[in-house]
Amino acid sequence: MKLIERRVSPADSPLAVTTAMVGAAVVAMLITSLLFTLYKANPLQAYFALFHEPFASWRGFGYTLVRTAPLTLIALGTIVSWRSGFGYLGFEGCFVIGAAATSWLALNTAFSSWAFLPLALLLSFAAGAAWAGMVALIRARFGGNEVLISLMMNYVAILIVQYLVSGPMRAPGGVPETALLPRATWLPFILPGTRAHAGILLALLATLLVWVLLRKSRVGYELIVSGLSPSAARFGGINVGARLVFAAFCAGGLGAWAGLVEVLGEQHRLMDGISGGVGFTGIIVALLAKLNPLAVIPAAVLYGGMTVGANAMQRRAGIPSSITFILQSLIVLMVLASDIFRRYRVKLT
Amino acid sequence: MNLHRLLTSAFFVTWLAASLRLAGPVLLAALGETFAERSGVLNVGIEGTILLGALASFLTDYVTGSVWLSLFAAMFTGIVFNLLLAWMYVTVRASQVVVGLVFNVLAIGVAATVYRRALGESSGPQSVAMFAPLHVPGLSDLPLLGPVLFGQTSLLYLTLVLVGLAHFVLFHTSFGLALRAAGENPSAADAAGISVGRMRYIGVLIGGATAGMAGAYLVLAQIGLFRESIVSGQGFIALGIVIFGRWSPWKAALAALVFGACDALQLSLQLGGGNVPPQLLASLPYVVTILAISGLFGGRAVQPAALMVPYAKE
Repeated sequence: MKLIERRVSPADSPLAVTTAMVGAAVVAMLITSLLFTLYKANPLQAYFALFHEPFASWRGFGYTLVRTAPLTLIALGTIVSWRSGFGYLGFEGCFVIGAAATSWLALNTAFSSWAFLPLALLLSFAAGAAWAGMVALIRARFGGNEVLISLMMNYVAILIVQYLVSGPMRAPGGVPETALLPRATWLPFILPGTRAHAGILLALLATLLVWVLLRKSRVGYELIVSGLSPSAARFGGINVGARLVFAAFCAGGLGAWAGLVEVLGEQHRLMDGISGGVGFTGIIVALLAKLNPLAVIPAAVLYGGMTVGANAMQRRAGIPSSITFILQSLIVLMVLASDIFRRYRVKLT
Repeated sequence: MNLHRLLTSAFFVTWLAASLRLAGPVLLAALGETFAERSGVLNVGIEGTILLGALASFLTDYVTGSVWLSLFAAMFTGIVFNLLLAWMYVTVRASQVVVGLVFNVLAIGVAATVYRRALGESSGPQSVAMFAPLHVPGLSDLPLLGPVLFGQTSLLYLTLVLVGLAHFVLFHTSFGLALRAAGENPSAADAAGISVGRMRYIGVLIGGATAGMAGAYLVLAQIGLFRESIVSGQGFIALGIVIFGRWSPWKAALAALVFGACDALQLSLQLGGGNVPPQLLASLPYVVTILAISGLFGGRAVQPAALMVPYAKE
């Protein structure tokens, strides 16, 4: 008698999927616990520290929203491009390009604060769209591999920004960074007593827009069909190349907005290393949300909160904040791996 | 006039020697990746494996001071972590790009956490023992050829030997044929009695071994210390080299040499102190790789037919 037998198709009831995801998260947290013990920390206390600061303290929750906004925007960009069959991974690049374009506008023009924000949104979106659009053009026109090219362009973008902050845009002083942006260009703070700023509102608005685009619009339908089966889409009269470029524009623009939110809301200046890996964490958030735009918000709040909690943990317990990279990536890896268990059932009789 | 000629020839010799030296890590990584891709797996996680290999070799070297032991530690680390990757790619049949990308983030976390635990927060960068350039009596003293071909480290010569070995195994053994069959037409390979899953596991593990060694190369033959940004895209460049080298070991060697030449050129131009900003020079190797795989030159690359397609036995 076999205790475990293979299913014809993986179990896909909501219960099975939820159980698999929760189980995956628990396994990831158990593995990470081993690393806590490496630092001679009690795992329970460490996890308490990791989640208490970002979700149970007012100030910490403000920081959670600060981290959530760029993650959400990048995750949305990932969803638009991947759903359209464009495997774009260049969000670190879009982020810094958007941040640079925004900072340039803020430092070199003197618009009133009401005129500035729309212009900054327009300019950074265009810069990010052009940056990602180049990759789409290479893919659509010459068949180059967008996965690799977009990864490589991240390094080019980061070097360009390094050049800008150590050359043409550098403020006098020892550190390669721009001057502080004029206060009129900053995003307003929205929760009293915290650093939370209006960037989170932009992220919510973008979520709604992406949801409408993919679920309710004709273009979105064509994007998704192009992603599922390019040949069927072509047969149905969809210009797949043009849709690819459109998806890249949206992805690059959203990634650049993440950079805008970071400089106008939190840093208030451009410096080297401003992205800090958020371009990849955002992709991981999109994966955790299973590429569903509405699920991005809770996923981004969770991962944004973890980043905040990790900093608190580093300050208090001396556990390096890099441990969140491990936890954040392990959760998604385990969710992916949990698929294999849904292919089997346990026979008890 | 004579002095001018001497200077340019000295520049030329230094440049060629540096080209070979800098081509080493990406070539090593590309050799193993060729096996993985020929078996049907695109391993985007190569960047993370190189990083963990670099860390393993650094820590081993820091403790034991033995460069060869450190090389083996890196190789072993690469194999262990790629076992995890192979399980995700082949057994779980998850999306290869997704798994590789997430693994890279995991590797950054592991490397940063372990490095800080091992060396502590306060200590500055620690340098370790490195492979010394070999000196072959007579040959190394030849003009031009001597320093370029006979003054390199044994790690580079090992890499060059591996190019020949990889070519032989891939194209002149029944194992190589079976591996390529798994990547070209897995169901036909399966029908012929080849275990597609096993071939892909082996392909990814070979990739892990050489990616780990590539990380060791960076530490043991290039910079002699560890930092979290040590790889900085060289794994992705290795993926580009596999494409530009059309999935052939010796063509990959030529492609890696082109990369090494670009990198060496930009480094010496930086040292030369010209007018071009160093950050823009540093982007040259990436830009060249992008152009090389863009399909703008040399037509479209024909990849193994089942690359990135998970195989489920019926």
